[in-house]
Amino acid sequence: MSDEATPATEAPAAQSKESSCESTLACDKLALLFGSILCRLWLGVRALQTGIEKYSGQKAENSEVEAGGEATGLYAGSTEKAYSLEYYTGVPEGLRSQFEAEPLMIGFALNIFDKLLGPALIVMGITLLLGVGSRISLLAQGLLYTGLTWGLILLNQGSGIAWLGTHIILIVLALNLIKHDRLVILKKW
Amino acid sequence: MNDPNTSSQESGFLSRRRFISQSAGAGLVLAAPNILKAAEKGGSDKIHVALVGFGKQQEVLFAAMKNIPGLHFQAVCDISDWNRKKGMNQVRAHQGSAPEAYVDIDEMLSAEKGLDVAVVATPDFWHSPHTVKCLEAGLNVYCEKMMSNTIDGARAMVKAAEASGKLCQIGHQRRSNPRYRYTFEQLINGQKIAGQLTNVQAQWNRSLGASQDIGGKKIPKGVQVDEAILNQYGFKDMHQFMNWRLYRDLSGGPISDLGAHQIDIFNWFLEAQPKRLYATAGKAYFKQREHFDNVLCLFDWETKYGEVRGFYQVLTTTSSGGGFWENFMGTEATIKTAEIAATSAIYRESGAPSWDDLVGQGYLKKKPAPPKPAATAGAVASYESAAPEEYDLPGGLPLVTTKDGKVIPKPAHQPHLENFFASVRGQATLNCDARHAFESEAPIFYINESADKQAPIELTEELLSV
Repeated sequence: MSDEATPATEAPAAQSKESSCESTLACDKLALLFGSILCRLWLGVRALQTGIEKYSGQKAENSEVEAGGEATGLYAGSTEKAYSLEYYTGVPEGLRSQFEAEPLMIGFALNIFDKLLGPALIVMGITLLLGVGSRISLLAQGLLYTGLTWGLILLNQGSGIAWLGTHIILIVLALNLIKHDRLVILKKW
Repeated sequence: MNDPNTSSQESGFLSRRRFISQSAGAGLVLAAPNILKAAEKGGSDKIHVALVGFGKQQEVLFAAMKNIPGLHFQAVCDISDWNRKKGMNQVRAHQGSAPEAYVDIDEMLSAEKGLDVAVVATPDFWHSPHTVKCLEAGLNVYCEKMMSNTIDGARAMVKAAEASGKLCQIGHQRRSNPRYRYTFEQLINGQKIAGQLTNVQAQWNRSLGASQDIGGKKIPKGVQVDEAILNQYGFKDMHQFMNWRLYRDLSGGPISDLGAHQIDIFNWFLEAQPKRLYATAGKAYFKQREHFDNVLCLFDWETKYGEVRGFYQVLTTTSSGGGFWENFMGTEATIKTAEIAATSAIYRESGAPSWDDLVGQGYLKKKPAPPKPAATAGAVASYESAAPEEYDLPGGLPLVTTKDGKVIPKPAHQPHLENFFASVRGQATLNCDARHAFESEAPIFYINESADKQAPIELTEELLSV
């Protein structure tokens, strides 16, 4: 008897809490604000750091080995990560050579994409993190990922396509939540 | 002859008698290939390079050349549209501007002005004509080994190089590899750690999978070359074009394609040419091929150590025995050299003097002792030698950062190309000029002949000279 009675007695309290949120929309607004910020933050960080990593590379450190106090011509080497404009690689070399072999890939378009990919990701990352024209930034990011997806379709790389697909879902979600986002510098666009 | 200041002009006018008298003895010039005085070129000028042939080997060379500053790739020449386009794309990606493209080398040499260097990586039977044309056009040449598919072709290259006064480096890249140079100069000659060298042995065993015909039955349209062009340039069909190494008129087969690198090291380290050889070979698996698929060869040398005997095998049906390496066996140590650092090792004979002092001074690194194998009923302990201690070189090739920020060990061909370009700039002397490459390669031209005749060949001075 008591088991059956318990839900009956708890139900009104739960209903009361829900209706309180619905009436004030306080809970949803806060959740939606958090959701929009998190979504924007994730996509912004994702774009910014991916763009920065296009400028990363490894720096080799070599020390010449001596024997009997004289140089041997042999080296002991080590590496450390470094960032430099000269290390910039937009489309990774392995992918680039595969794209070049694709008859549908236009050479000059690939070159433009290669040059713009890193800077574009950095700009989109910054605008998203700062909340400057978030809708346009998200649209641009979505178009960029769609372009990348097209390239991977040519190479039949299913897992990469699926991975980019999740980014598109997040972008659509972020666009859907953008109206709830208040922590922005430029709300327009 | 060992004077590094001897000029190429001087070496070009060496009489045959003088050459033989200097090369016939144990102190053969093989050991001191830095004979040619470098060409004179300003230290800061760009070197304008023509890439002759852009197949797989040129790609390997180009990947190494990309790391060398001061090069401008001005022209690419290949009869294949596919290769030419590939070369142009790679050059453009590297230097930002596309090179001029040519099908025919004569057209390239007459049209292109200001070329300094040609890097020749065409099929073996084209090496000699291409190299000679480039030298006569006033270019310095880096040409892949084997110098030619015929000894006369190789002779023509030496003569052209010496007549032109231009530099001609042959692609025996181990000659510039710091690990090989250290082993030869510091360990074998300097510290004499091997004692008296008595035997050498080497192999290049390649698996069946890696020895298959290139291209398969259906070659994509984009890769195919027009039949008229193929015929014009000495190929019967696309199969010959892609698999020229399998044809007797186009190459020397596995013994020259793979064996030449290692037999060169024999002759370099022993500072001598072999006096005789005897080869046995056959078509154990690839019965339709013109060349032997497996070749085994014995050599006899007279060296500064006394008699040295050697054995070389190239097998294209198995990777048994760890791929490719060379063993130099002396009374006090065996030195195992290989282009792959992990394959090399140095083994001290149990009766040899201690190397603790050499380790202390940094000449060698001692490797941890391997676990002792369990005694078996089949082994008779008293018949066995004590296991030798294992050592390693104290370092290797430097690491390099590529243009796109990747760190890789310096490519194996890079030191040899650096040596060539430094020589063009007048800052170094060639490590493997045409004459020294010829001396080292000459015996190799007689290995297939010995196997065909099933008879030993006495390598007379006449056979081995230019």
